Amino acid sequence: MSKISKSTAISHCLFAALLLVLNSPVLSQDSLPQLDLNLPLRMDFSGSWEKDFNRSDNWQDELSRTLRIRQETAARQQSSSGSTRVRPHSTPPIPIGNTNLPQSRGRGANIVDLARLAEYISRHNTIKITQVREEVRIERQGEAALVCGTEHNLQQTFASEHGIETCAWDGQQLIFQIMLPGDLTISHRFTVSSDNQVLNLLTSVYSRNREAFNLIQAFNRYQAPAAEFNCVQTLSRGKVCNQSGNDLSTILDK
Amino acid sequence: MRTLTHLLKYHALSVTFLLSACTQTTVEPVAVLPDLVGDVVLNQAIQPPNEDLLLDIGVLIFTTRNEQQHSYEIGDWVFDEIIQKETQFLPSLLKNTLTTSNQWGAVRVIPEHDPSLDLFIHGEILQSNGKSLQLQIRATDSSNREWINKIYTDQSLAEDYPESTRFTLDGTFDAANFADPFQDIYEQIANDLVTVRSSLESQALIDLNLVTDMRYASDLSPDTFTDTLQEGKNGLLSIDSLPALNDPMLARVADMKHRHYLFIDTVDEYYQTLYDDVQPAYVLWRRYSAEQISELETSREERNPSGHGNSNNFLSLSQRYDRYKWSKIFKNEFNDLAVGFNNELAPAILELNSQVHSLTGTMEQQYRQWRGILRQLFELENNTSGKK
Repeated sequence: MSKISKSTAISHCLFAALLLVLNSPVLSQDSLPQLDLNLPLRMDFSGSWEKDFNRSDNWQDELSRTLRIRQETAARQQSSSGSTRVRPHSTPPIPIGNTNLPQSRGRGANIVDLARLAEYISRHNTIKITQVREEVRIERQGEAALVCGTEHNLQQTFASEHGIETCAWDGQQLIFQIMLPGDLTISHRFTVSSDNQVLNLLTSVYSRNREAFNLIQAFNRYQAPAAEFNCVQTLSRGKVCNQSGNDLSTILDK
Repeated sequence: MRTLTHLLKYHALSVTFLLSACTQTTVEPVAVLPDLVGDVVLNQAIQPPNEDLLLDIGVLIFTTRNEQQHSYEIGDWVFDEIIQKETQFLPSLLKNTLTTSNQWGAVRVIPEHDPSLDLFIHGEILQSNGKSLQLQIRATDSSNREWINKIYTDQSLAEDYPESTRFTLDGTFDAANFADPFQDIYEQIANDLVTVRSSLESQALIDLNLVTDMRYASDLSPDTFTDTLQEGKNGLLSIDSLPALNDPMLARVADMKHRHYLFIDTVDEYYQTLYDDVQPAYVLWRRYSAEQISELETSREERNPSGHGNSNNFLSLSQRYDRYKWSKIFKNEFNDLAVGFNNELAPAILELNSQVHSLTGTMEQQYRQWRGILRQLFELENNTSGKK
């Protein structure tokens, strides 16, 4: 058989195999889920995550490091008089315009208090994330869940006189930003590794949109035990549960 | 980051607008309400009016106003779902009040406009939560005369939710002795209807009954009965000519009307059953809702505009964060309760829609099917008697 006829035979075989796959019942139209092409595909954040203390920042060490950098920068500026003032690097918070929250007068909070606040809001050791095509739900112990849609636009997820929460996607990173009265801003930036085994959370705390204190926490995926019960919230009976796998509608009828 | 910055610039204006609106109307709007109905005493008749002056009333399933004035946060759909369910069972409260007043003929909750009835009440829910209820009520009779077109508003008090409405494991809710927190609204509507009726001559009420009879007959057999009615320049219907009293067609119409009444009585019973089923959970829900709104109002009153203080020490920062955190947790719990309420109602609504045997679809669809069946039956009986 000549070289050309060999390759033709191979391509015929491949074409036949492709037809076979396309016609197989596995890919029949009935079993294919409807794909909403308007929703972008996102990295999979879902799973149970536990803090890796070795790879996470220690807030006091991070504070010392930040203070040292500040001092070094200040010293450099003093020694090179007349040179352009260089600000330490930090990612500015998301600008979202007038929020009607009370503004702060005077100077912002100092870096030590921002660092303590960053530690205060990062005390949870586990995170549970559920993700569907439309939204990501992040649950942390003792905190309200962070919920964000997977669409492109900036989304407001909560608003009260005590604070405004928005979320957005920066590529495959998920960002939540909380604006509190007195020009205090907190942002959480979630990133998942390409092998889905490590979750990074960068928490930044800003006062008056100036320099931020950043705290990085790393979380490793772990296998949480499967839920034994299947529950549904009701008003008059609280949470009504049955064993996983059974139809809940039957208990609602009772 | 560049992508995000571009995106943020694009949305900056709209988000600024949204946020400024949201901070003013968070969770539940606590808007200034128009005049409240106040304390109302129901105008109850000792004796009902004479039979030829009695008017049958149909209270249509309420509707809601589609307004996009509030920005929506994730999870807000659940409150829309609750209002959609309220449209199905709040009419029963108005119906019960009208029945208690002893001023009217049969009063029924119906899914659609019904030509066999004399007076129709259409309600639109403008605002509904545990703290306030606002309804736009329009009542028209079968001759197209408008009786009422008015907004009714009422607010609940803490004592409207007695201890028995608090959730307990043994379920102490006492439906028989519970008065709806917004009962005054329904009583005011009932009183206003009586006032309008009192302004009409007795003959006008007798004529109205005849107009209804002919409208129903025309609905069954348009070719035969349409000429019996005429529409005036003002759009009002009046009797033009009446068939002879011994006309067999009239007897058949009366027979059909009787069967139709049996059907709409059944439909009404189902709506009443729906309300009876959901009432304990609904009252509980309203109580939570009222408490949540009161909590918000109190926190607004107590809040110093610069209540966060000018201090930027750690204690002040952590307090600010905690206030945000708890307000969010509180709202999420409220949303969970709303979901729980909807979950609890789902079987009752499902039952309502599957009750009328051999008819299918929602109650509204089944109602339409029934009217179609009656028309066919009437035609069939007429053809059979014609051949005889």
